[in-house]
Amino acid sequence: MNRFFFFFFYSRTFARQGVCVSRSQYTVFYRHAAPMGTTAKEEMNKFWAKNAQLNRPMSPHITIYKWSVPMMMSITHRGTGVGLSGAISAVALAALVLPGSYPYYLDMIHSLYLGPCLIALAKFGIAFPVSFHTLNGVRHLYWDIGKGFKIPQVYKTGYTVIGLSILTSAALMFI
Amino acid sequence: MIIMAAVARLSCVCRRGIKPLLYQSTLLPRALVASHKYQDHPYMLTARIHASQALNASSGSKAASLHWTAERAVSVLLLAMGPVAYFNPGPFIDYSLAAALTLHGHWGLGQVLTDYVHGDTKIKIANAGLFLLSTVTFAGLCYFNYNDVGICKAVALLWSK
Repeated sequence: MNRFFFFFFYSRTFARQGVCVSRSQYTVFYRHAAPMGTTAKEEMNKFWAKNAQLNRPMSPHITIYKWSVPMMMSITHRGTGVGLSGAISAVALAALVLPGSYPYYLDMIHSLYLGPCLIALAKFGIAFPVSFHTLNGVRHLYWDIGKGFKIPQVYKTGYTVIGLSILTSAALMFI
Repeated sequence: MIIMAAVARLSCVCRRGIKPLLYQSTLLPRALVASHKYQDHPYMLTARIHASQALNASSGSKAASLHWTAERAVSVLLLAMGPVAYFNPGPFIDYSLAAALTLHGHWGLGQVLTDYVHGDTKIKIANAGLFLLSTVTFAGLCYFNYNDVGICKAVALLWSK
C-alpha cells in the first residue's frame, strides 16, 4: 500500500515539474469518481457568498506577489482596453448630448493655440493605448491558436509588443 | 500508518493544482480536491468532480464555447478594419467600425465584470448597466456617423491638428 502511495506522489511531482505522464497512471487513481450536482459557476458563487457573509478580508495577493513583465503587460492590456472603451463611450455620449458639430469643437481646441510639444504629447497619449492594445491583442490571438506559451517566448513576444508600440506611437506622433 | 498515507495522498491532491489537468485527456474526469470526509475511510477515497462537457454532452451547453469563438472572430474583424478605414474611408466602414468597436468593447468589459463582480444581484445590475452603456455607445456612434463627419473623417481631422 505504501509503494502505491509513494508512486502516486512521485508521479505528481513529475507532473508538477512538467513531464508528460501517460494516461494510465492517472486512471488508476480515480476508481471512485462522483460527479457533483453543481456547475463550476455555482461553486464559485457559493465561495464568494460564504466568504462575503462571514465578512472575511481579502488575502493579500497583488501586494505581496512579485510583479513580472507578463503580469504588468496583462493588466496594461486590460487597462488600455477599459480606457479606450470609456473614451469611445464618452465620444458617443458627447455626440448625442452636445449641441455643436465635431468640426466646431475641433476648431475650439485649435483656437487654444496649444504648443506643438503638447499636441505631440497628446497624440502619443492617444496613439500608445491604441497601438499597445492592438499589438498585445495580436499576441493574445497568437496564444489563442495555441502557440507561444513557453516562458522565453512569452517574454520575447512581450518585449516585441512593447517595443513596437512605442515605435508606432512615436511615428504617429510626428504625422 | 495507512491514515498518514491517506493524508499524504490528500495533501498531494490539494497541492498539485491545475498542471496535471493539462496532461489528461478531456475524457478523464477532472478531479477537484478530495473531500476531507473521506479521510476516515482511506480505501473509499472519492474524487468529487464536475462532469465535463465531453462526458455529459447532453446536459452541457456550447454557449460559452461559441461566445469565446465569436469574441476572437470580432477581434480579427476589427484588426482587418484598421487598414480598410485608412485606405478606404467612407460610410460603410464607419458603420462597420461603430458596430465592431461597440461589440468588442461590450464583450471585453463583460469579461472584466465577470472577473471582479461577485454575487448574483450585483452581477445582474452590472451587466444591465453595461448593456445600457453599450447601447448608448452604439447609438451615439451611429448618430455621429449619420449627422456628423463620421469616425474615419473624425480621426483624420483630429490628427491633421
